[in-house]
Amino acid sequence: MIASDVRQGLRSGMLLAIVVVFLFLIGATTTIADIFANALKQDRGVSLQAVLGLLALWAGSQAAKVSLDEKRPSWPRTLLRAGVAGLSSGLVIGLTLLLTLRLHEQGINLRTYLYQLSPASLDLWSLGRSPIAAALFHVLLPLVGCLVGAVLARGFRDAPWRGPASRRMSAVREAITRPLANAARTRWGRILLYAALGTLLLLLPLRLNNYWNFTLGTVGIYVLMGLGLNVVVGLAGLLDLGYVVFFAVGSYTIGLLTAPTPHNLMWDFWIVLPIAVLLAAIIGVLLGVPVLRLRGDYLAIVTLGFGEIIRVLLKAEALASFSNGPRGIPSIAQPTLVGLPFGSDRDFMYMIILSVMLVIFLTNRLQNSRVGRAWIAIREDETVARAMGINTLTSKLLAFGIGAAFAGLGGVLFASRSQFTGPDDFNLMVSINVLAVVIVGGMGSIPGVIAGAFVLKGLPEVLRELDAYRILSFGALLVAMMVLRPEGLIPSTRRRLEMQEARAAESPPATPVAPVGRGGAA
Amino acid sequence: MPLLEVRDVHTYYGNIEALKGVSLTVEKGEIVTLIGGNGAGKTTTLRTICGLLKPRSGTIVLDGKDLARTKAHEIVNLGVAMVPEGRGVFSRLTVAENLDLGAYTRTDRGAIRRDLEMVLRLFPRLKERFRQIAGTLSGGEQQMLATGRALMAHPRLLLMDEPSMGLAPILVESIFDTLREVNREGTTILLVEQNAHMALQIANRGYVLQTGQIALAKSAEELQHDPMVRKVYLGID
Repeated sequence: MIASDVRQGLRSGMLLAIVVVFLFLIGATTTIADIFANALKQDRGVSLQAVLGLLALWAGSQAAKVSLDEKRPSWPRTLLRAGVAGLSSGLVIGLTLLLTLRLHEQGINLRTYLYQLSPASLDLWSLGRSPIAAALFHVLLPLVGCLVGAVLARGFRDAPWRGPASRRMSAVREAITRPLANAARTRWGRILLYAALGTLLLLLPLRLNNYWNFTLGTVGIYVLMGLGLNVVVGLAGLLDLGYVVFFAVGSYTIGLLTAPTPHNLMWDFWIVLPIAVLLAAIIGVLLGVPVLRLRGDYLAIVTLGFGEIIRVLLKAEALASFSNGPRGIPSIAQPTLVGLPFGSDRDFMYMIILSVMLVIFLTNRLQNSRVGRAWIAIREDETVARAMGINTLTSKLLAFGIGAAFAGLGGVLFASRSQFTGPDDFNLMVSINVLAVVIVGGMGSIPGVIAGAFVLKGLPEVLRELDAYRILSFGALLVAMMVLRPEGLIPSTRRRLEMQEARAAESPPATPVAPVGRGGAA
Repeated sequence: MPLLEVRDVHTYYGNIEALKGVSLTVEKGEIVTLIGGNGAGKTTTLRTICGLLKPRSGTIVLDGKDLARTKAHEIVNLGVAMVPEGRGVFSRLTVAENLDLGAYTRTDRGAIRRDLEMVLRLFPRLKERFRQIAGTLSGGEQQMLATGRALMAHPRLLLMDEPSMGLAPILVESIFDTLREVNREGTTILLVEQNAHMALQIANRGYVLQTGQIALAKSAEELQHDPMVRKVYLGID
């Protein structure tokens, strides 16, 4: 009993210690303290301690957590858990601090080893006192924090108002969602909902400034590509790591046909748009013919190769007369509408919204069509799919072509919006990002892909505040998301069902399932 | 004219000759069984018939049409459906979706609905589990689903690859009962089995396959009394 309490306490404590020591060593704490100091108009030292205190509260609540299969422990045992958590983390943090501060005092320049560990950040941690005093303080802070956190967490769980309150909350949620769900079921309700959504989408770009129109436009382009790759990966189950090829085809088609260099063709945007989309689809099918005979990992590697080949080819000086080589294509045409220029970030936002809606509509129809069912069968088991009479090659080619067309559309909008495209727009990271959009969002799920694009392309913008730690914190968020929601942010109903049943299968069933024969023979 | 005539078929896996000139016939309305040990070429024979493998030489004629020169997905349309070895249900799809995919090549909605009713009558368990994910079914239920799915193609010839594999004897019996019923309603069946005892009980005729060649071809009755079959495949001295 006691041993398990100590173990749970240690686990939370070590988690806290690792987080804090990590933040300390990479010097991230100064940045975090700055953000809080700005936001709260407080002294940086106080801000840092507030952040550390909050972390400790969280660790304390973790230590006091009761798992589903155990009886609720007594108050002393809860406090024991929290105490162990606080003390263990405090000791680790305090000792680390003591060691670094002493080294600093001896005149050793820590920055040679840990670039971000600036004297300023050390001062922040030492509170202007001696190393021993500072270390002691940082032992006490987590200890107190954990104890308070545990008491709060437990008290919150036990609070008499909690039951009715949560019931009231769900009643409120019900009151909001129920009429909406009901409305969506009737024909007029649906029309009304769509109209409301449409108006919102029409008005949104007007209310946004250029920066946000640009940023959300980029998100929209990733939604386009995510939905395209979703057809290939999520529906047909073909792992394509070279998806950027089709994005490049779209971009370069609009570039080469509308720009003054290198060919000086100067065609109109609206003529080139369908050509580019069609060309991307054709290239998708042509690439698919040799590639789609491969399965699984081999397919992934070969498509990965194609993705790189296109970038290298576009960059090649030898082909510069055709593609302008590494210099890329400047002055790509922007669309006009009834003779007026239609090329601001806001105008493009409208085009992107329209394209996304079109693509959502198409994907939705495809998903529930005959070929949609064929894709699912191929994803599940290609050999059996063939035995069911599905022409696997044409189905797969169709998936590839449709996915490519969506990416081509994204490429056109992308290149025309920035009026420039070059080989470096099409590196491996684009393919990986789009794949991440699909996986983080939820494979095979349209709302999931949209959410994924917002998280993956929108969040880094929001995280700009974190500056040097932007990518680091972004990575941590991604890992956390995949741990917490492996099925994606908004999984398709199918995936949700699978995950549920898989979870149910893991825990032993309440009643044994009898082997089943005809007429209930067992 | 037989419904299916396989004549001198040679099938290779790379350079390995798996079928060394197999010939067999299946008459309309029959249950024919193909028995043999591990690696004799039973599954290869079925896969060659339904087009998943292509023979290097020989002909496979179904009702006057050469299947050896027809693509796998078109063969289904000609009325050949297979229940693959190890059942091969789409384990992440529901029972309903699995059955639906069985009728993939068909467009006659009314007839499809009638066939679905027929399958659910044959296998009431599938009706109970209609909206359930196929992977969560028991082995016996998965075999029912795989059989039902093949029947959804409304085949003239049903190819069954070891339906008894990994099932309790009582379940095997129930599956074989169903096969007999399916056959009574007019579907011809070519049944590959290691469980020779069960297979010979429901079959009209049987072939014994040994290392890629037909070793014996007799009526099921005769095979049951054949000394070699009794010794090797039935385990009776």
